[in-house]
Amino acid sequence: MESIGINWQLLVAFLVNFLILFGLLTAILYKPVLKMLDERSAKIKESLEQAEKIKEQTSRSEEQIKAAIETARKESQVIISQASQIAAKIKEEAKGEARKEADVIIAKARDEIKLERDKSIGELRSEFANLTVLAAEKVIKESLDAQKHMKLINEVLDQSNSFKQN
Amino acid sequence: MSKLGCSNRLVVILGIAVVALALASFTFGPIGARLFGIQTPHELQVSKPHVSLPSEAMFHIGDFKITNTLISSWITIILLCTLFYFATRKMKDVPGRLQGLAEVVVDGIYNTIQGVSGEKYVKTFFPVVTTIFLYVVTNALLALVPLWGTWGPIEEIQEGSHTATVIVPFLRAANTDINLTLSIALISFFFVEYLGFSKIGALNYINSFFHFKELGKALGELFKGNFKAFISGFAFGFINMYVGLLELLSHLIRIISFTFRLFGNMTAGEILIGVMTFLVALIVPSIFYGFETLFGLLQALIFAGLTLVFGLMAVTPQHEEGAEEH
Repeated sequence: MESIGINWQLLVAFLVNFLILFGLLTAILYKPVLKMLDERSAKIKESLEQAEKIKEQTSRSEEQIKAAIETARKESQVIISQASQIAAKIKEEAKGEARKEADVIIAKARDEIKLERDKSIGELRSEFANLTVLAAEKVIKESLDAQKHMKLINEVLDQSNSFKQN
Repeated sequence: MSKLGCSNRLVVILGIAVVALALASFTFGPIGARLFGIQTPHELQVSKPHVSLPSEAMFHIGDFKITNTLISSWITIILLCTLFYFATRKMKDVPGRLQGLAEVVVDGIYNTIQGVSGEKYVKTFFPVVTTIFLYVVTNALLALVPLWGTWGPIEEIQEGSHTATVIVPFLRAANTDINLTLSIALISFFFVEYLGFSKIGALNYINSFFHFKELGKALGELFKGNFKAFISGFAFGFINMYVGLLELLSHLIRIISFTFRLFGNMTAGEILIGVMTFLVALIVPSIFYGFETLFGLLQALIFAGLTLVFGLMAVTPQHEEGAEEH
């Protein structure tokens, strides 16, 4: 033991040395550095996750924008088609109304024409009757040969303004 | 082109100078002196290495001897602590050079241990294994610094019939003190046994040596009246107990092998460098300094690695080991 130098006091001193080194290194090297490394890897992981999240968000908002544009386009199409439909309807309505009005006007005109005609016919009739009565009077007063008859009628008719021969 | 030629010439001249110096120191060294009958010049005389296994006491405090190896180990501790104190004083997210060094050391060793022991036990092994590695490797590398082993008072020592002058160095490679290697071996041993007891339970750990359970099972067979099973079980139980004793012995022998592996390698390295310096004073010992750098690293790796492996064996539950055996 003594010839190779084993010495209990020295052995204890070296044991204490090792334990001191162990304690010091734990305090100043292992703990802070491992903590640092853990923190850093946590930070890196976090920032990576954040980047991923941002990327996701960006793509999501891009999609949203695309969807919004798409819906706007669809809506505008719908509006345009509606507008054209409405326009067509308005046109149709206007046409219908115009036609109706025209019909009314035509009907009125017809009525008026009819009225006028009826009136004229009535007047004519009454005049004609008068003339006929007049002619008859004349006929009865004169002889009834054909030549005279014709002449009489012509006279009567000539007397009336309406049937005057030119 | 001329520049290149110049530097080539410089290399050639330097090479020749180096070889010439080596040859000269060989010729004028002890071998050449004997072969060619030349008197060794005083400037090239290197004293014969004096092998002293116990470390030499430098001071006495009461009964306690402060040896040169103890001083060396203090320097190692101071060096390591100062270096890593300044490296980790102001930790930053973006590390500077010193902090980067500390991180490389810690991260490298941590990952290596994790690779061997897995995620579960890496935090248990890391501090002890790393401290052993750093302590041993720093001790070994410091021993190669010029002041170590060469700076100290010259003493006359009676060697057989004639007296020899030897340097008693103030600083001696700490790993060449058997007390130091024994102390780390004891730390390693107690660390491993503590892990065995605490991680898989005292009873399980003891049972992993002696297999009391099988002996108990055999006794159970006896109470059931199954005499044949009892005999074979009992015999196997005893064989297992004997194997367990051997295993216990092997655990104790680990202390000795740890102690003498490091002590022997480092002492042999010191002696080798001493002898080479004695034989060929210049140039050639540099090669052996290179070797010793490698050996210091290797021995530290072996010491730390074996502690890790033994620790891992101690925390691995018995039935798994048994499954591997059968």
